[in-house]
Amino acid sequence: MVMTSVKAPATSGRRAPGVRVSGLSVVYRTPAGELPAVSGVDLELVPGSITGVVGESGSGKSTLALSLLNAVQPPGRISAGSVEIDGLGDVVRLRGEELRKARGRHIGYVFQAAQNSLNPLKTVGKQLLDLGRSHDVADLRALVRDARDLLGRMGMDGARVLDSHQHELSGGMRQRVGIMLALVLNAHLVVLDEPTTALDMITQANILRIVREVHEERGLTTLVITHDLGVVAEIADRLAVMYGGRVVEQGPTRQVLGAPRHPYTQGLLRAIPRLVGDIDEARALPGRPPTLGTIPATGCVFRERCPLRAEICATAEPRAISLGESIVACHVAEAGAGPEGRTRQAAEARKAREEHT
Amino acid sequence: MTVIARRLGGHLARGLVMILVVTTISFVIIRNIPGDPLLARYEKLIEQGMSPEQAERATAVLYGFMPSGSLWEQYLDYMSGLFRLDLGQSVSMPGAQVTDVLASAAKWTVLPVLVGTLLSFLVGVTMGVYAAIRRSGKLGDVLAVSGSLLHGLPQYVLALLLSAIFTTLLPILSSGGTADIMVEPGFNAAYIGSLIEHATLPIATYALASYGGWILAMKSSVVTVLGDDFILAAELRGLRRGTVFRYVARNAILPLFTILALSLGLLFGGAIFIERIFNYPGLGLLLIDSITNRDYALMGGAFLLITVAIVIANIAADMLYTAIDPRVRSGEGGAA
Repeated sequence: MVMTSVKAPATSGRRAPGVRVSGLSVVYRTPAGELPAVSGVDLELVPGSITGVVGESGSGKSTLALSLLNAVQPPGRISAGSVEIDGLGDVVRLRGEELRKARGRHIGYVFQAAQNSLNPLKTVGKQLLDLGRSHDVADLRALVRDARDLLGRMGMDGARVLDSHQHELSGGMRQRVGIMLALVLNAHLVVLDEPTTALDMITQANILRIVREVHEERGLTTLVITHDLGVVAEIADRLAVMYGGRVVEQGPTRQVLGAPRHPYTQGLLRAIPRLVGDIDEARALPGRPPTLGTIPATGCVFRERCPLRAEICATAEPRAISLGESIVACHVAEAGAGPEGRTRQAAEARKAREEHT
Repeated sequence: MTVIARRLGGHLARGLVMILVVTTISFVIIRNIPGDPLLARYEKLIEQGMSPEQAERATAVLYGFMPSGSLWEQYLDYMSGLFRLDLGQSVSMPGAQVTDVLASAAKWTVLPVLVGTLLSFLVGVTMGVYAAIRRSGKLGDVLAVSGSLLHGLPQYVLALLLSAIFTTLLPILSSGGTADIMVEPGFNAAYIGSLIEHATLPIATYALASYGGWILAMKSSVVTVLGDDFILAAELRGLRRGTVFRYVARNAILPLFTILALSLGLLFGGAIFIERIFNYPGLGLLLIDSITNRDYALMGGAFLLITVAIVIANIAADMLYTAIDPRVRSGEGGAA
């Protein structure tokens, strides 16, 4: 599926865009100098797919998400790489008004549910009108109608929600309002940052169903950032695992969760407690994830916690190599070591996935 | 809106009770200040050889009345007068109604304090926004330090400083009184110019003294709001800069409106030092004089005015908040 990179008029019928992140690095300025939060990330969002990015806190997944809108907040900045979005070009090079207009109209961003992403002093409807006016929407009535339809589509009373302030809405309702605001201008690339965090299980399931359905109905390219493997297992077609600012493994969700190649992915899956069986079977990953200041400058970022650590891991950074349908950055996986160990882990992981979904 | 009407009704009822309670307390306190002027005059006349009846009559003629009832009777008399807006007669200015005296003094306090407060609010809030936006630069530092300095300086020190600088060291402004006594009062340029000249220093003192507070409060409020998620969310939705700025400003200024309303309530009572220093004949000076002269009625009237102003300001602050913050409007508790 190829789309021309010629900029299409904003209102013409658009299809799901493809996104190519290449060599993306983001650094944060600190008293100790500029420290990398994301380094050399390559990631492709296939048009019309849902891609999940998982990682622990501080793995750089939210920074990556913000990079897609060229919205890394100071003191951070994108130091290298590009984010090519079909119909927009390299977002990293967009500035000023061009960038502002791309946000909202081409790329929708949905905040974490726990965050207050609405102005507490204005009704949802008034903020919708602000959005429309900011993007020079000529027919504001049609915009309100679209918003009402979208809200109705997500199981809410659109007219009432538009007339409500943030404090009158529950967490799940706010999240659906956030999704509405991200989609109402007909954006076809949607980034969801922790869309279900801090929601109860039932609301969480509802939101994921809505994301999935809206994604299919409107023909979107969707990126979901989460720390919850259950979430990606449920909705993502493709999955990227981040650790220490790098994508250590990516591929089709089934492949990555069913036959994880990277020891970090394997460790993550082992750490999920099972509904049946001994709770002690779940094994937490030893150690803790690196912070900005403790990411090793050379070698593999995961080696401190890696059960398969080899000599080479301390000196050379692993290349990203294709293994089957997956792309993995690990020396040991590259050398193809431990086939029997991997089979065992794969079986365990498969079990994990089945129980989780 | 019925919610607002109900709220206002409750406030007014509570405010009325509050005023009555404060009036009662100040009535009792005032009557217990040592040194009764009428009694002093009366005793003096007796010393001069008058009979008690004569002395009483002479005092009554002099002041227009002579208190004869018990404290309790006086209190009831006073309170019933209150409901007719009759605050009695001044003792130190025989024949003058307290309400008239207060009204004529009030304008010399209300106008300068109002102008000074609003001026410093506008300038301080604007500078506070700049101080917040440029908080990592030189401009931000300068603004914040100037704010802290002025905020730390007591009002009366500031008044003395300004007075010393602009009337003695660099005599370009006059102080004392509301206008030059040589100028014919009336609607003419010379009189108005003189009015402005005399009001400049008191207004400057009010403005400078509160400016620091506004700039610091606004700065911290803006910094807090800038860090809020919905501002980033608004930017990521591609809202115009102007729209985002309005989101920030409206949310940041909210708590300051309460402080503004409350500080306007202190308008009538907070000017004592400054009016004393500039010899500006407003309510503050009137209050000092009435205490020196043991002018009960005038004192009571001045206290009443201050009380009413503060109660009204509190009600206004709450109603204002109800009007501009939807979270308060629909809030469950009416006690907010």
